[in-house]
Amino acid sequence: MKITNKPILLVEDDQVDVMTVMRALKEIHVTNPVVNLENGEETLNYLRDPKSEKPCIILLDLNMPIMNGIEFLQVVKHDDQLKRIPVVVLTTSEEQQDKVNSFNLGVAGYMAKPVDYRQFVEVMRTIDAYWTISEMPQ
Amino acid sequence: MTEYQLEGKSLEWLLESATDAMIITDREGRIILVNPPIERLFGYPRQELIGKPLEILLPERFRRAHGVQRTDYFAQPHARTMGTGIELFGLRQDGSEFPVDVSLSPLKTEQGLLVMATIHDITRRKQAEEALRESEARMHAIFDTAVDGIVTIDESGIIERFNPAAERMFGYSEAEVTGKNVSLLMPSPYCEAHDAYLAHYLQTGEKKIIGIGREVVGLRKNGTTFPMDLAVGETRLGEHRMFTGTVRDISERKQAEEQRDRLLQELESANEELNSFGYVVSHDLKAPLRAIGSLADWLSTDYADKFDDEGKEHMRLLISRVRRMDGLIDGILQYSRVGRVKETTVAVDLNRLVQEVIDLLAPPPNITISVVNPLPTVMAEPTRIQQVLQNLLSNAIKYMDKPEGEIRIACGAEDKQWKFSVTDNGPGIELRHFDRIFQLFQTLAPRDRVESTGVGLALVKKIVEMYGGRIWVESRIGKGSTFFFTFPRTAATANTTEGKKA
Repeated sequence: MKITNKPILLVEDDQVDVMTVMRALKEIHVTNPVVNLENGEETLNYLRDPKSEKPCIILLDLNMPIMNGIEFLQVVKHDDQLKRIPVVVLTTSEEQQDKVNSFNLGVAGYMAKPVDYRQFVEVMRTIDAYWTISEMPQ
Repeated sequence: MTEYQLEGKSLEWLLESATDAMIITDREGRIILVNPPIERLFGYPRQELIGKPLEILLPERFRRAHGVQRTDYFAQPHARTMGTGIELFGLRQDGSEFPVDVSLSPLKTEQGLLVMATIHDITRRKQAEEALRESEARMHAIFDTAVDGIVTIDESGIIERFNPAAERMFGYSEAEVTGKNVSLLMPSPYCEAHDAYLAHYLQTGEKKIIGIGREVVGLRKNGTTFPMDLAVGETRLGEHRMFTGTVRDISERKQAEEQRDRLLQELESANEELNSFGYVVSHDLKAPLRAIGSLADWLSTDYADKFDDEGKEHMRLLISRVRRMDGLIDGILQYSRVGRVKETTVAVDLNRLVQEVIDLLAPPPNITISVVNPLPTVMAEPTRIQQVLQNLLSNAIKYMDKPEGEIRIACGAEDKQWKFSVTDNGPGIELRHFDRIFQLFQTLAPRDRVESTGVGLALVKKIVEMYGGRIWVESRIGKGSTFFFTFPRTAATANTTEGKKA
């Protein structure tokens, strides 16, 4: 990540998936703090809390209870304060409709979670590499 | 010849100047004078008639009665038409008969009372009458035996005719409804609106049903209603107009339609369920599978020094089974997506596509893939047609058992279809497996030897059949197999021939 002190927001309800992301980030030496939130609603509350540290990126699962990923995107991408935070969808769904909805709502990327952990590490490595090079507005 | 005089005029002169056929007889019925139209009408030269009894011009069966009638006439002579109410016939010299009208006039001459008969050949009128009667009988037959109900009304909506089919349909007899407003056959609110509708039409000519026909609701005598098709035709009779309504009870058709709609809806919801099933499979089955895979991976990494060889082997098998299940789930998803997820149909140049697929599959150097003849361009969803070629080719590569592998792709035109073939010199397939290989999850080799989900050929079959094609295999054990499939030649691509350059 370009900015190493800002948190990575991991919006994910599956405990093993959270462990997978943490482990993969550790393996590729990403040192940013990771904030895990279990659904879209919790994430919105976090983002709108003035005491919260603003994240450098949001890794978003789509299939979650209470407020799913698409619903979360609908809110966050219409919020002038939040819409520039890059959101990368990290999901199992390869449904065309999910991809269309996500990109309509301006996601910065859409990654299918591979079943194979080694491949998952490579996905995380690529995300990190990209957001290390990409410029971002302050 | 005697010169007959009537008020100073020669009768002969009178007859000669007439255009109608005329004949004059005396009291005994002897012919005294005839004019040229008589000669033409009966086919006798005049000299053969003069002096003969009149009855020679009548068919045999009328002759006796005529003699009596003639005597009566001379007793009370006055101008009249002859034989009112009965049909009269003339007899020609050649023996043929023809219908006639005859009018009689007494002539008081200086030589005594004579009778002049004016004769009209009414053959044509009789024929016209006959034709009219026949046509009316036909119309009646149609009206009475029509399966559809026929109702005719006048301009103010009053029923004039009501055929037996309409009687059966509505439960009224014709006598009950003639003279009544047709709106009694309609339920509320149509019956109240009908008079206004008819008036509106007569005033503006704006048609809603007339000349068009539509589905409406009919009202039976017993108060029940039924759906019917109504077609209304308009006929002008002089100043007036008549409307003919043809009605058909469509209750059964309606029921069938409703049943079809219901089935369609059930099918749609079943399809909907299948949709969400695919979605659920992709999310909910894969999530725990991924967790198992990750945890197994971490265990074997983090505790590598604690596992003995058997433990390590078990972990390896565990991870490989996770991958296999992942492949199966992907296969289900791919299979369920065919026909469900629509892509745009475009012209696909198969020469280019085959090359792309070969590049993608990267066959080992001992296998050569050749395209025998230039392939056509087809109208298809690119992903689907690619899946067909990719699966057939990857199977041919995957199962190749010869040191020099040869795979040939060919295409020919057959009627309205292209017939494609993919031929290999691999192991071949036993005849008894020809059906099984196209079924979902069916494989012939143990999965540990050749990693396969058993989805590929089922997917290919589903795609080919979705496009209205057919797929089959011919094979000889040890020699190789040929997979054939057909694909429709659409209008847009029919002019691309095998001669087309890639």
